[in-house]
Amino acid sequence: MFKFFFKQENKVEELIYKYLENFQLICENFEKAVFSCIREPLCEEFNFLKEQTDKYESKADDIIDEINNLMYGKVLIPDSREDIMKLLHALDKIPGYLEIVLFMIKYQKLVIPEKFFKDIQDLIEVSLEACEALSKQIIGFIKKESGTRTLMNIIDKHESHCDYIEKRLIQKTFSSNIDPFIKLQLKELIICMGDISDQADRVSKMINILSMKRRV
Amino acid sequence: MYSLLGGIFLGWSLGANDASNIFGTAVSSRMIKFWTAALLASVFVILGALISGQAGIETLKSLTSFNISQAIISSIAAALTVSVMTFLGLPVSTSQAVVGAIIGIGIINGQLNIAGLGKVFICWFTTPIGGALITITLYKFLAFGYNYLKIGLFGSDQLLKTCLIISGSYGAYALGANNVANVTAVFVGAGTLSIFGAALIGGLSIAFGILTFSRPVMETIGKKLVSLDPFSALMVSMAVGITIHIYTIIGVPVSSSQAVVGSVIGIGIIKGASTVNTHTLKNILLAWFLTPVIACLIAILITFGSYLKYTGK
Repeated sequence: MFKFFFKQENKVEELIYKYLENFQLICENFEKAVFSCIREPLCEEFNFLKEQTDKYESKADDIIDEINNLMYGKVLIPDSREDIMKLLHALDKIPGYLEIVLFMIKYQKLVIPEKFFKDIQDLIEVSLEACEALSKQIIGFIKKESGTRTLMNIIDKHESHCDYIEKRLIQKTFSSNIDPFIKLQLKELIICMGDISDQADRVSKMINILSMKRRV
Repeated sequence: MYSLLGGIFLGWSLGANDASNIFGTAVSSRMIKFWTAALLASVFVILGALISGQAGIETLKSLTSFNISQAIISSIAAALTVSVMTFLGLPVSTSQAVVGAIIGIGIINGQLNIAGLGKVFICWFTTPIGGALITITLYKFLAFGYNYLKIGLFGSDQLLKTCLIISGSYGAYALGANNVANVTAVFVGAGTLSIFGAALIGGLSIAFGILTFSRPVMETIGKKLVSLDPFSALMVSMAVGITIHIYTIIGVPVSSSQAVVGSVIGIGIIKGASTVNTHTLKNILLAWFLTPVIACLIAILITFGSYLKYTGK
């Protein structure tokens, strides 16, 4: 409808979908990077996948900048502009957390002890499932599709599960007999991994509020 | 031509002030660019004046009989009243100022069309009420449809923007049709202008006001009024257009500012929130009473002043 008159608006919409595709690529590369590190700490594959993740994260920043430029050029009505910018700003924190996790593993030369493998894998898998559901929820919100509330409940469940794994991992870390310095490093890493699903849950609830706010 | 200057000035100030009632919310919140709004408003004001402006002109010219000097005096009195009230910071209605000045001339002439005045007063009283009722009705019906419309965020954004432009243009048409009588009806009464000439000159002077001086008012009106969500802003814009159009059909020039206030109160009633504070309401009521009284007094004073003659020494 009236597409011809709203070129800039359509460009913003396209950029949001491009951002979400890129977001998925960041998540996929991050998952592969962490799993490769679990299999073989600080290997070449890990370095390559970390670089790929950084590359996609930087591309995400470029897309956000482009969206911001269009928004500051007064594309969309103010309420929609505010909603989208708030949403993207909150969502963009997740790639930041993913980057920090990989950064910590690489530069603190972290080697994950074998007894934590299973829990770390679970934590990452469930967190990324929450991110995937979040991506679908955002598309649903933009297209006004049904099922966004169901997705919010799924993300909430994933977040609770992640919290549980996170607490169990921290407990395990401090009850183990590894070096106290390593314990602190691992604790920091686990908390940062936990932040991923926490943020996904925050964004998901924000979408729910925005959907309700947009009803007249 | 010089005799029309008072009316043209009145039309200019009406355009500069009242265009904000139609497009102000959309422009101040940057939903529509100023120049898009100003050009659309100007074109539709002229069209409204030319196509539907006759009824209002007939009503105002029938309130009393004029000669050319009385027509000039009434338009100057109305223009001065608008300036005084604006200076006092009170929300002014050009329609009330013009009718007040015509009453002043009628008192001097000892000839007033009481039935016509009664119709005008009733319409003044019902303008904000009508604005509120139309807003409530529109909101209830359209919100239901809007919530169930299967269009996404960008689609609804484009729909709201398009509807705001259409309803703003319609509002400008209604404003031109309704308020052109304020500008030039007295000159038709005095026999200086034909109805078509009055509608054309009135419409052009309002459009001139919109194009030259409405920007500051349009860009600040949103900050003075409550901030409305886009859907409510659209409802207000549509309701103001419809309200003014109804009074255009009845043939009575009314205040677009009062229609806006009524509509905003209507939104407040729907949402259960106080959208206009009591201080603003007090000012509106005060101006509602003072505007015609001051215009009437100024018209009488100028008329007496014009009778004074310099006798020397």
